[in-house]
Amino acid sequence: MEGAFQSALAQIFQIDTLVFMATGSVAGIVAAAIPGFTVTMAIVLTLPLTFAMEPLQGIAVMLAVYVGGYTGGLISAALLGIPGTPSSVATTFDAFPMARAGQPGRALSLGIWASFFGTVISTVVLVFAAPPLAIFAVRLGPWEYFSLIIFALTIVASLVGHSIMRGLIAGMLGLAIATVGSDPMMGVPRFDFGIQMLAPGISFLIVLIGIFAISQLMSEVEDVEALKSGQKLAEHDIELHTWTVMRAVLMRPVNLIRSSMVGVLVGALPGAGGSIANLLAYDQAKRASKTPEKFGTGIDDGVVASEAGNSATAGGGLIPMIALGIPGSAVDAILLASLMVHGIAIGPRLIMDNPDLVYGMFIAMVVSSLMMLVICILSMRLFLRVTEIPKWLIVPAVIVCCVVGSFALNNRVSDLYLLGMIGLVGYVLRSLDYPLAPLVLGVILGPIAETNLRRALMTDPDWTMFLTRPISLLFLVSAVLSVAWVVWKYDRNKKLKERQV
Amino acid sequence: MKKTSDNNRQSDPLPGGNDRPAEGTNAGSGTPRSTEGMRLVSYLIICLASAGLFISAGTIPTSRWEVLGAGAYPQLVFGGLAVMTFFTAVTSLRKFGLSMFPAIATDAVLWLRSRHLVIWMFILFGAYILTIPLTGFEIATFAFLMASQLLLAPWTPRSFALIVAIAVIFSFGLNYLFAEVFNVFLPRGRL
Repeated sequence: MEGAFQSALAQIFQIDTLVFMATGSVAGIVAAAIPGFTVTMAIVLTLPLTFAMEPLQGIAVMLAVYVGGYTGGLISAALLGIPGTPSSVATTFDAFPMARAGQPGRALSLGIWASFFGTVISTVVLVFAAPPLAIFAVRLGPWEYFSLIIFALTIVASLVGHSIMRGLIAGMLGLAIATVGSDPMMGVPRFDFGIQMLAPGISFLIVLIGIFAISQLMSEVEDVEALKSGQKLAEHDIELHTWTVMRAVLMRPVNLIRSSMVGVLVGALPGAGGSIANLLAYDQAKRASKTPEKFGTGIDDGVVASEAGNSATAGGGLIPMIALGIPGSAVDAILLASLMVHGIAIGPRLIMDNPDLVYGMFIAMVVSSLMMLVICILSMRLFLRVTEIPKWLIVPAVIVCCVVGSFALNNRVSDLYLLGMIGLVGYVLRSLDYPLAPLVLGVILGPIAETNLRRALMTDPDWTMFLTRPISLLFLVSAVLSVAWVVWKYDRNKKLKERQV
Repeated sequence: MKKTSDNNRQSDPLPGGNDRPAEGTNAGSGTPRSTEGMRLVSYLIICLASAGLFISAGTIPTSRWEVLGAGAYPQLVFGGLAVMTFFTAVTSLRKFGLSMFPAIATDAVLWLRSRHLVIWMFILFGAYILTIPLTGFEIATFAFLMASQLLLAPWTPRSFALIVAIAVIFSFGLNYLFAEVFNVFLPRGRL
């Protein structure tokens, strides 16, 4: 164990790894600072660049993008009132009024420090929570694993988007896409319809790039007016008041820890993520405050709650990924994909078979948050310039990066055709308000679900084993309850609205 | 996330709520009835395709070594999807009635018109990926970047200079970077 930790430490603190991580951190901050460009998209674009790296180096770079991205969203949220990413929606509630009141530097600095402490707190929880959970998960059989995936998909579908039915349909579509190509147990060809490019199956990385990058980029050019006009974020110099603000953040330990724990818990829940955590942490801070009426007017507590909450989901999301091999969010799914590309078996044995990798991820999280802090403090004024890059310039350039990334995966031109088709389908689904995260998780979890279902029935053909094994039953009941809870909540909201009308 | 925070501020910030902001959704275009009508069409398409693939999965040969064959799991998935989309379509129909159908065609035209830039971008993107194997990455990318940026950008001398610079950097420059640094050789083209 000690040897694995030292090996991880040595790998992370190599000069080239640190340089790549710093570049990743800058890329994450820059990408998330541009409204419309999400952390997910930044990670998707980073993925092909990590193929030539060592596994730990590659994942450390992606974690640096991840941590940087959660902070970058703060820039446009605070200065323009437009969340750079969905995870910084609640940041606009107080950081924007604060910036408008003549304190843009304080708003940014509060967010940066809260993000830093949020990430560190979530990493501490991750270090303590992941290993025991993995030890427990190793004892799970194929029955429990299949039921766990069903639970993960239903909870993703119920937490993301506006409609649980469309969420479930998107998740099922993902499972359906994963059935194309050879079956995972016997290699029997399925649904290739004699088309050669479908025979090896549809790579989930192509689905990721098509769904999250191409469809999002295309939706960015819908608004003709926004394309043709530019809007500056800050008209005057910004003073960050670094150390004063750090003390101000630390003087709010209850809010900081509570918001971070909300972020960790929401992040650890499959399907939830920064986009929910920031709102929930903000809501909790407001409820606990003695002056809730001041929330929304530009107070420190609001910014701290939102930014600590969304940044803490980074560590929280890694808990099910490391311990169970179940990605908690789309970003975690991409991290998982990068491990799979390097031939590393995912699942509860990850922590036992590759302890240096897992320790390396813990160290990389802390180093990334430190890097983000230093980079933001030193070069925030420079980052403000990137928010002025017009969409007409960046959208086509990023599309080219997506094409290069998709081709570099397997050196197959046919993957580009699949990318185009999936991008189009993704755009239509996005426009019709289907949540896309369940679809991508369905594509990743589909083969795991099928393998475990068939393995379970090969071990014992009795279907009732899924219901008679207590943990399996617990997951299945939880899946039903998660759907029932959303349906009940929907009905309640509907009745409330009717009463108000 | 293009939507401003004001809408979100009014909503109940709890998970599972139906008024939470969704990433990159544009369901607001068109009236609720016609948007729901377009969704209904999507449910029906998915339902029919899943039903067809459910039947097709039944023809996949089974193995003597296991209870479930290679076709059983796809049958489960496509069967579930068909049933789910069928019930969602029925619910949608019961909610809005058959009267939504005339609105669908009108709304589809409006929907397409409001997204004319997106349609052009998809056409350019399609042409781009189809010409890569013919002309090679560099030329196809240069042409795509020039065309797409000219389509989206305001036409000024400054923006034109930027367009040319970006097109050169992301076509010839990117190809050079991948070949020399990452040892990844992008398509050269048959012509």
